[in-house]
Amino acid sequence: MIAIEVKNLYFAYYDEDYVLKDINLIIRKGERVAIMGENGAGKTTLIKHFNGLLKPKRGYVKIFGKDTRNFSVAELSRIVGIVFQNPEHQFFAETIEKEVAFALENFGFPKEEIKRRVENILKYFGLLRYKDKSPYSLSEGEKKRVAIASVLVYDPEIIVLDEPTTGQDAVQRKRIIDLMKKISSLGKTIIAVTHDIDFVIELFDRVIIMANGRIIADGPIKEILTNREVLSKARLLPSPITQCAWLLKELGVPQNILTPDEFVKSIIEVFQLEYKD
Amino acid sequence: MSIKINLFKGFEFKHKNTLIHNLDPRVKGLYVIISSIIALIYISPIPVTITFLISVILVIIARVVKEWCATMKSIALFAIFIFILNYLVSPYQKLNFAITMTLRLLTLTSVFSVFFLTTSPEDFSLALLKVGVPYEYTLVFNMAIRFIPTLARDLQTIMDAQKSRGLELEKGGFLQKVRKMIPILVPLLVYEIKRCIMIAEALEARAFGAIKNRTYYFEIKMKKSDWIAVFLMVLTSITLLILHLTHNLPNWFYWKIPY
Repeated sequence: MIAIEVKNLYFAYYDEDYVLKDINLIIRKGERVAIMGENGAGKTTLIKHFNGLLKPKRGYVKIFGKDTRNFSVAELSRIVGIVFQNPEHQFFAETIEKEVAFALENFGFPKEEIKRRVENILKYFGLLRYKDKSPYSLSEGEKKRVAIASVLVYDPEIIVLDEPTTGQDAVQRKRIIDLMKKISSLGKTIIAVTHDIDFVIELFDRVIIMANGRIIADGPIKEILTNREVLSKARLLPSPITQCAWLLKELGVPQNILTPDEFVKSIIEVFQLEYKD
Repeated sequence: MSIKINLFKGFEFKHKNTLIHNLDPRVKGLYVIISSIIALIYISPIPVTITFLISVILVIIARVVKEWCATMKSIALFAIFIFILNYLVSPYQKLNFAITMTLRLLTLTSVFSVFFLTTSPEDFSLALLKVGVPYEYTLVFNMAIRFIPTLARDLQTIMDAQKSRGLELEKGGFLQKVRKMIPILVPLLVYEIKRCIMIAEALEARAFGAIKNRTYYFEIKMKKSDWIAVFLMVLTSITLLILHLTHNLPNWFYWKIPY
């Protein structure tokens, strides 16, 4: 089933000054897709089209077959949950509990259900003991988790995260990845805008690279994130492991390595071959 | 809900190399003061209209017609409101009074936008400094102008974030709409206060207020063309004043719409 269909999308904030040009994209239900690219490439502008915050100037965006131009942001947000980059752009409630419950109230969930859901998600993120504190009293990493929790809590079919890993320590980063994997196993679609290449390697199957308002590459991470030309166009550094593999090219190490496991395996293979000779 | 920042658009400065742009900001300030006085003391349409037309000519010379139109368009509704209000409250010569009042609003807006469209905020604060306003205040003004677009962007981002959590801004009655402003205004306020603290720290880190008499890299100086402009304005004003006091102004100058 197609979750998001983008066809010939053009978008401009002013007149004909297009910040998105001819975007064509199909994301199927249950896919895990990362969107990468240099600053100002149009990544955030693109995800704002997924819940109708921005409407196409030309072309269309369809969410499960619904054209975003015909639905309000609130209606589309029930299906597409977007977690924005800066959590401070959304905190208004006196307590974290109320903050997380906000979307559920807007969508008309019953009271008991709200209480249950909020408690569950706060427990998972290790925030339950802070539930009566102001969201502003938290550390940056905790704020980010509250922001993520405040969207995940209403269980949207498609989850879009804008830079979810910034400011997270290794443990919390792992938590976010694990939670996303769990959500993904329930058949939800996960999309993230990120600069964190290791995060992409750990969680995503497919990556879309944007530059200058266009999609310049779209495919499996193994193919795209080891492609020198694409990476340099998108101003991305390859993962350190990939760089190691590139440096060991002479030895016959494969050039499309992304994870430490793959790397170790291929190194062992190389040495075994050497030993045989 | 869309943000109305068109009004500010008229006050957005873009540098152009025209006669008006190159005038000393103090000279333009004098022009604003004289024009405002003329527009405010007469309750007959002719002098106000003349002042208005002069400002239009200046707009054309300064090549800021497009921006000027945007400003005028944004006050159109307010102008209509002023017209109706004055028509209703004025005891006699209703039409004359209402039209003059509306013209007054248009003239003042036009005159001020001539100033702000052709004077960079930096030049404006330099002019204020020259006439004795302390640097702290001119800096506050400068930063206020500088942060209008930033504020508008923050507001948009916050609205986007809350709409994405199901906040419906378009629907509902008045009271409901007011209640819905809370999730928007609280983050905006907190965010801007934090930004203020950050700016203060950044200023202090760059030795703001270290000594009493700071020096300036950019200076403004009166040029020959500035003195000519001042001379013309002063001459016109004095002539007008003398004619006015000696009752020698022609009758058509005081003509009123007879309704």
